[in-house]
This record gives sequence, structure tokens and C-alpha cells, in this order.
Amino acid sequence: MSVEVPLARLLEHPAIWRGRSAARIATVSTGFPALDERLPGHGWPRAGLVEILIARFGIGELRLLMPALTTLTGRTAARWCAWIAPPLEPFAPALAAHGLALERVLVVRTDTPLWAFEQALGSGACDAALAWARRAHLRDIRRLQLATERGRTLGILFRALRAARDSSCAALRLALEPAPHGVRVTLLKSRGGLRGSVELSWPPAVAARGS
Amino acid sequence: MSQLHGITHDLFAELRPESTPAHEPPPLHAPVPVPEPALAREPVPAQGSAPVQAFVPRRAPAVLRGRRPAPHPQPRELWVGACLHDLPLEALGLGRSPRPVAVVELRDRVQCVVAADEHARRHGVRPGMGLAAAMALVPVLETRPRDIRRERRLLERLAHCALGFTPRVSFVPEDGLLLEVKGSLHLFGGAEGLCRAFADACAGAGARPCLALAPTPLAALTAARAGCPLVVTDPAQLVGRLAPLPLSALRWPEDVLERLSRMGVRTIGQALRLPREGFARRFGTAQLDALDRLTGRRPDPRTDFRPRERFHARREPAYELEHHDAILETLAPLLRDLERFLQARQCGITQLECLLHHRHAPATRCVLACAAPTASAQRIEALLEERLARLTLPEPVRVCELRSGPLVPLALSSDSLWQSGEHGGGANGESPAFIERLRARLGDEAVYGLRLFGAHRPEMAWRSVAPDEAGVRGADAQRPPWPAFRRPLWLLPVPQRLTEREGRPHHHGPLRLVGGPERIETGWWDGGEVTRDYYVAVDVRGVRLWIFRERSPPHAWFLHGVFG
Repeated sequence: MSVEVPLARLLEHPAIWRGRSAARIATVSTGFPALDERLPGHGWPRAGLVEILIARFGIGELRLLMPALTTLTGRTAARWCAWIAPPLEPFAPALAAHGLALERVLVVRTDTPLWAFEQALGSGACDAALAWARRAHLRDIRRLQLATERGRTLGILFRALRAARDSSCAALRLALEPAPHGVRVTLLKSRGGLRGSVELSWPPAVAARGS
Repeated sequence: MSQLHGITHDLFAELRPESTPAHEPPPLHAPVPVPEPALAREPVPAQGSAPVQAFVPRRAPAVLRGRRPAPHPQPRELWVGACLHDLPLEALGLGRSPRPVAVVELRDRVQCVVAADEHARRHGVRPGMGLAAAMALVPVLETRPRDIRRERRLLERLAHCALGFTPRVSFVPEDGLLLEVKGSLHLFGGAEGLCRAFADACAGAGARPCLALAPTPLAALTAARAGCPLVVTDPAQLVGRLAPLPLSALRWPEDVLERLSRMGVRTIGQALRLPREGFARRFGTAQLDALDRLTGRRPDPRTDFRPRERFHARREPAYELEHHDAILETLAPLLRDLERFLQARQCGITQLECLLHHRHAPATRCVLACAAPTASAQRIEALLEERLARLTLPEPVRVCELRSGPLVPLALSSDSLWQSGEHGGGANGESPAFIERLRARLGDEAVYGLRLFGAHRPEMAWRSVAPDEAGVRGADAQRPPWPAFRRPLWLLPVPQRLTEREGRPHHHGPLRLVGGPERIETGWWDGGEVTRDYYVAVDVRGVRLWIFRERSPPHAWFLHGVFG
């Protein structure tokens, strides 16, 4: 006992990294306890690039992010939440119904999403940036990852599932597949988090309509 | 001369009423005793022959003797006078030309030299000389026509520079500036330091004025016009230091100067020694008044220079510009001017127009819009760089021009303790800079915020707004009345017609209806009528869609949203 307490205190030191907990990184809860449990720091990183690989557009990838975006935009000194080159129009009433603070949402239409994404991540003006890019090379991902650290921004890049074969230096990589009442999340890479997959179901109201 | 000197001593008691202004302070001590006439014949140094420092008057000149103002150890005002002797040359950018060059102007149907550079002056070319005479002296003399408007513009630029030293700057046509610098002396390390700093600032704008500092505006200006870099901070020394300056520096009418010089009066000191009444009668009250203002006997109010409320500057490089880098380089000094212009007013701009003029094609316009007022040349240059990189020029550029939008007062704010994002700190300066960068590169329409709009038709229920408007917190924070799951997160800009097989909608396979219907029937009053039954559908791959069926024939199915 007398040995364990100082050891625990020592391990809390921010300079000490352990494989599992990857030190203490600032995170924001995903809103899904089952997913939080498996992520390093129990949530989305506040500064870092997250790659979400989706089998098909619209299977629930945005729904997965809504609780976190609501938390981020709802803070008193919230920064922008930038949507870079979204494939369709984000439907403002639905975003507001999910609790997102619309006045913090910025939509950017561009043919060069990676440039705008890097600007959003590195400028320090955004709390979160979401980008939909057709293709991204390893060096682009590296630039983006560095930009998130510079601007202390959560960057979320949506890519096709086939990109899972490529290597990537994003802090976190998830693959999403549709599930009967929600979505199945497979952790492909997480710094110090658990691997494996977890099935999330949407809150009952949504599930009830869905079934 | 002797006649004049004879009456010096006794006429001063009866001052003309208008020469003693009502607000002049009452004398604090008895007038200086009337001197013996013998001293009046004291030799006066000839014009410009003695060094300025050497001349120390042994008594107060006559004009001062009647009611001398109380001596102030500290002057109330200190003025820097600046005179641009080579303004016509400098305005044309000919300050340092390798060949002798002169600026000429048509006067009475004769081309006259207005200004000549050092080369030409060394060969004897003088302002006021006819062009023919000048050409005879220097056959290779290059001549350029005078451009009054450019002179005026240069003077204005210098006045803007001067606003960085003091808020009280006034124009003196045609080639002078006056700055009241009493309050700013200590900021620049005294009179010499200030004069040096101002001369450097002027050199940056392409002008080399002659500067002088004195307690009265006219004295400072006169010394500058005489080319004498006088620095007088003690009012008691003023008259003595002014005395050796030539009378011509006062720029009185030619005939007055002529008559005075025929009397042997060539310096200011000599003129000050003349009796007031006789002086006024012979040479006019205007001239007496000028002498009074020169010595501070009468107040000399000056109109302050009011800077223009829009910035406008153009630059014509010597060669045509074809590359964006060259254009930016040409614009850089203008942007620095813009920054000074804005700083002098504590204002910023939200709009800047850049016009690039070509030889034949109409000018290329490029308008920058800033999300927040800015006064930083660096930031504007970065925006311009983004914008110019996107621009295709029809022809090389001959003239670059900048025009600002209206000035907006800058609200000064402190920097936040935390950096953006650190410990939950918000974005202060980063936010507008980020949006401007995106807008400069992608266009104003490409960056927008979202706002709710109370309407039942899904396509009307929101608007895109400029991000600076949308950024106002709590503008309309109300939530829609229906629960979150009823509406999709994505909306198609235009509903997409779905194919139908055996009466069921298809989208990459048959769709399974899992929710609905929800009827939306509205808009009959504005021509955008919708009568739809909305359903939630799931396609074969598990994507939840929002589809509707038209209530009117042919009852077609449409895809309108994706739940995401």
C-alpha cells in the first residue's frame, strides 16, 4: 500500500507515457460510453487527427459525432466548427435539434479540401474541423496531423473504407459499418487505446423509428 | 537708413491698437529701457555671411521693445517647419538622377525652370530661369513638365508621415508643412532626435525636406525656407537666432522686398529694428503682422491638416509588370502607407479595392473583404497575395492603385492570457484571419455560416449567412420543435427523383420504409407550393434516407435527405 500510492502518483506525471493510457490527453467525450471506454483518454482527442473510414456515405458517421460537436460548440469560448467540402448541405434545423450551436458552424465549399482543412486545423480558429476528401496521401495526412497539434484542433477526415489498407499517421483511425440499430465501430489504430470493434446503437427514440 | 534709425526710440510707445491683441498677456515687468541711438548703428552681418550661431544680439530689436511679452522659460508651443525646396523634382521621383535634370513650367508663355537638381545647379541653372538660358548653360539638360497634382500628393504623404509624430500638422502651400511637437519631444529624445526621425520618415517617402524648430510656426517655416536648420527651444533666443536670416525667406511680395533691399534691409534682424508705425505705413500692415507672428507677438493659429477618410494611392512603376510577385512588390510601399494612414486614425478597413490598369484592356479589379477591421499591412498583403495568385491578367500591368473602403474605428482589445484552444481559450485574432484567408482564396460565397429560418418547407428552413454575422452568439438559439431524429442531417440541394419498381421506390436497390408518413403541405401563397408525404427509408446497405412522395399526380418518389 505504502509503495503503491507514490507509484500511482508518479504515473500521473504528464511526462510519463504508458502504452495503454498514452499519458493524459485532453479529450471530449464521444457521448457513447461503450466507445469512450476504448478510446485513449476516453474520448475524441481535443487536438489530433481522426480518420473515419466509411463503407458508404450516410451510414451514421455524422450521427456518431453529434454529441461531441454539441459539447464543443456549446462552450462559452467556443471556436468554429468547420465543415470542409461536405458532399451535401448540412441541414441546419437537424443540427440545431441535435443541440449544435449553429452560430459556431462554418461551411466551406472548395475543390481543394485538403488545403482548407489544413488552414482550419492549423489556424487555431476552430475547435473541430470535418473534411470530406476524395484522396489523401500519407504526406498529406502527416501535414494535417501536425496542423491539428499546432492549432489544438480536433480534425476529422472522412475517407472510403478501402483506404484502410494504406498506412496513416493519424492519431486515431476508425472504420464504420452499418449495424441494425446504429453503427459498428472498428478501431483500426489508436495510440494507446484498445483495438477491436464495438457496436453502438442510437438512442431509443431513433432506434424505435428505425425498426 | 539713418533717417529711419533716428526715429527708432520714441515711436514705440504709441502702438497701433490692432497690433496689441486683447488676449496678449499683460507685461510682467517694465519695458526694456530705451537704448541710446548710437547702438542702433551697430553693424549687422550681411546676408548669410556670418554663421548663425555667432550672432548674438546685444539688445532687443526695436519692434519688440514696446510691450514685450513676459519671458517664458518654457515655450507654449514648439513648431517644426519643413520646406521642400526640391518638391517638383521629388514629386516626379527625380531626387537622384544621374543626368542633370530640371522641372519646367509655362509662365507667361515662357518655359521656366521651377526646380533643378544638384547637377544642373552646379552648372548654374537656377529656379526661375528661362528654359533657353538653362539649355545654354547645360546642353544635355533633361527637362520634365511640372506636375502639381503629384506634388500635392507627395506633400500629403509627408503630412501622413508627420501624423506619426504629432496630431497637429498643417499644410503650408505650396511646399511646406508645420508640426506642433511640444508634446512629443520627449518621445523622440529631444528636438534633434525628433527632427532626425522625421527627416528619416520623409526620406522613406522620397523627399528631403529642410527642417527647423522654433517656438512660433512662422519662424520655423521661415528658417526652413531659408535652408537654415535652426533649432530654438527658448523663446528668448528666438529673435536673435532669426535675425541673420534673409528677408526673402518670408516670401513677401517682390516689390516690398525690392523696396526694403534698396533701403539696405536684407535680413530679418534689420527689418525687426525698423519702427513699427513707419513700417506699417510704408510696407503694409500685412508685413508688420507677419513680423509680429514671426516673433510670437501675435498669435498665429494654423488650420490642422485633416486626413482624408478614405485611403487612395497609386503607383506607376517604370516598367510593365507581368508577374504577381512584381505586382505585390509594387504594392508593398502603398500598403505600408495604408498602414500608417490607418494607424494615424486608429482605424481599420474591412474593404480594399486593388485596381490594376493595363495599356488597352479595362482595369482588373480585385476587391478584398476582411471579416474584421484590420490595419495591418502584413495581413492585407497576405490576403492580396492569395487573391492575386487566383487572378488571370489580360495584359501586363502599368499602374497599380489601391482604394480603401470606409474607415472603421478599431476597438483596441487586450490579448488573451491563453493561446487559442489552450485551457479552453477562445479564438480572438485567429478567427477573422482564418476566415479572410479562406475567402481570399476560395471567394466570398464559398465560406458561410448557417442560420435557422422559421418555415416548414425543408429547403426554406435555413439560410446561409456570412460567417461574421453568424458568429454572433445567441443570434437565434431556439431549437426546432420536433425531436432530433425526425430530420436528416444532410439535405440534398434539389430533391432527386427516385425510380419506382412495382410501386416501391428504388435507390441502389429497393428501399424499406421504416418511418412516416409526415405530411408537409404549405407554400401555396408564394408559388413554391409543396404537398409531400415524407418517409424514413433504409436502403439495402443500411443507409437511412429521407424520401417523400408527391401528393399530386403522378405521385413520384423523391430523395430529399440522408440521416448520416
